[in-house]
Amino acid sequence: MRYSPTLLDHFLNPRNAGLMRDPDGTGVDEYEGCGDLARFFLRVRDGRVAEVRFQTYGCGPTIAAASAASERVAGRTVEELLSLKPQEVEDAVDGLPEDRKHAADVVAGALRAAALDALGRRQGEVG
Amino acid sequence: MSRRVYLDHNASTPVHPEVVAEMLPYFGERFGNPSSVHGFGREARAGVDTARERVARFLGAAPDEVVFTSGGTESDNMALKGIAFARGRGHFITSKIEHHAVLRAAQWLETQGFAVTYVGVDGHGMVDPDEVERALRPDTIGISIMHANSEIGTIQPIAAIGRLARERGIPFHVDAVQTFGKLEFDVDAVGIDLLSFSSHKIYGPKGIAGLYIRKGTKMVSVQHGGEHERRRRAGTENVPGIVGFGKAVEIRGRDMKDEHARLTALRDRLWDGIRARVPEVRLNGHPTERLPGTANLGYRGVESESIVLGLDLKGIGVSAGSACTSGSVEPSYVLVAMGVPLEWAMGAVRHSLGRSTTAEDIDYVVESVEPIVRKLRAVMPVGAA
Repeated sequence: MRYSPTLLDHFLNPRNAGLMRDPDGTGVDEYEGCGDLARFFLRVRDGRVAEVRFQTYGCGPTIAAASAASERVAGRTVEELLSLKPQEVEDAVDGLPEDRKHAADVVAGALRAAALDALGRRQGEVG
Repeated sequence: MSRRVYLDHNASTPVHPEVVAEMLPYFGERFGNPSSVHGFGREARAGVDTARERVARFLGAAPDEVVFTSGGTESDNMALKGIAFARGRGHFITSKIEHHAVLRAAQWLETQGFAVTYVGVDGHGMVDPDEVERALRPDTIGISIMHANSEIGTIQPIAAIGRLARERGIPFHVDAVQTFGKLEFDVDAVGIDLLSFSSHKIYGPKGIAGLYIRKGTKMVSVQHGGEHERRRRAGTENVPGIVGFGKAVEIRGRDMKDEHARLTALRDRLWDGIRARVPEVRLNGHPTERLPGTANLGYRGVESESIVLGLDLKGIGVSAGSACTSGSVEPSYVLVAMGVPLEWAMGAVRHSLGRSTTAEDIDYVVESVEPIVRKLRAVMPVGAA
């Protein structure tokens, strides 16, 4: 099999999939030249990620990467999330084939965008 | 994984056991080169001759009108380039939904100074013979229209197009790789001058195919070397492949009719079962004028490769209408030419049935598809496609 058991498990049983009402931050990333898209919603409490939801459009690895990343980033500070690397997302699904690396890029990009949005809203409130 | 269901027969088929048995001696005691004059060579030559006669009979052709090639791609290339270079200049007509073997050969001919018109198709993937007629020019030297498209299975009106070509003395090439051995037709009745056909789509081995060339068709060879295939295609014959191909064709002559009816019923059972359970699904291709075993279904708003992966994990082999390989995803050019909206085209899945497919297989696929599509739609943002 071309994909790891972890990836297939997340593909078949995605965790934290779906919409979130009144999120504290949202972010979208789309892979250029490819229709793959990930959208993340964050609930932030005391500066940390309390809840994550996602939607994706794309091939199986993108769905799995979004699901695995949603579990991995829970509890982190929003600032930490700003520097999330694609490699960490890839590690969360135990690796991606070369021609599917973009799944990690798009998921990491959307999570970073959501963190930036959350930070902006928080600063807006403070200001 | 317990159950395995193969619904990708338009991609390739397993070699029929009777074909394997027929081939085996030609790997061993009958290994000779058919060009050799001694007994070893004559044994191999006899195998090739028998196969050629079987293929010719099936086509309604003469044995010397059949040239064996290495695959459908070579046959298509030989047909287009053979016509083109026998004439030196001129204009071709083909369609936008041809196999890449025809499309890219035609595109290459454009770089060599030939002109090509690519006619469109309607929403069912059907070429309009009137559009072919309107595309004709005084310098048209060839028409190439496929018999049925591998993705959607729509069967083209080749008899009407053949009449147009014959009235004007223009060579007519038909890529019949997906219909040869599945549909009954006679090259004379349809007015075909060149016909590509392949072995591994009809339970024969890979690496062997053929091109029918009507006697008197002006052609040049594109592969030079020895005197093989009446100097039309140089290279030592793939004897076991040819022998196997001949046997596969003979078996098709025996089984084709019954299988046509059986697969048509199973194909419709699949479509009826899925559309009864899954919302927002469409059939891509002609509702009736379609290959007996082909059902291309489009799921709105879902990415087809995800469905293929989901079905693969259930032991089911189907193929995706779009593929995201090197970081770019393109919907099928066939579906685009048909005008299928993007959000449907991206979710296209082809099911192609074959001789081993049973009603139980179809029911298993129908049951498996519904939860996969439902789950995928749950994670996919509405309208993202």
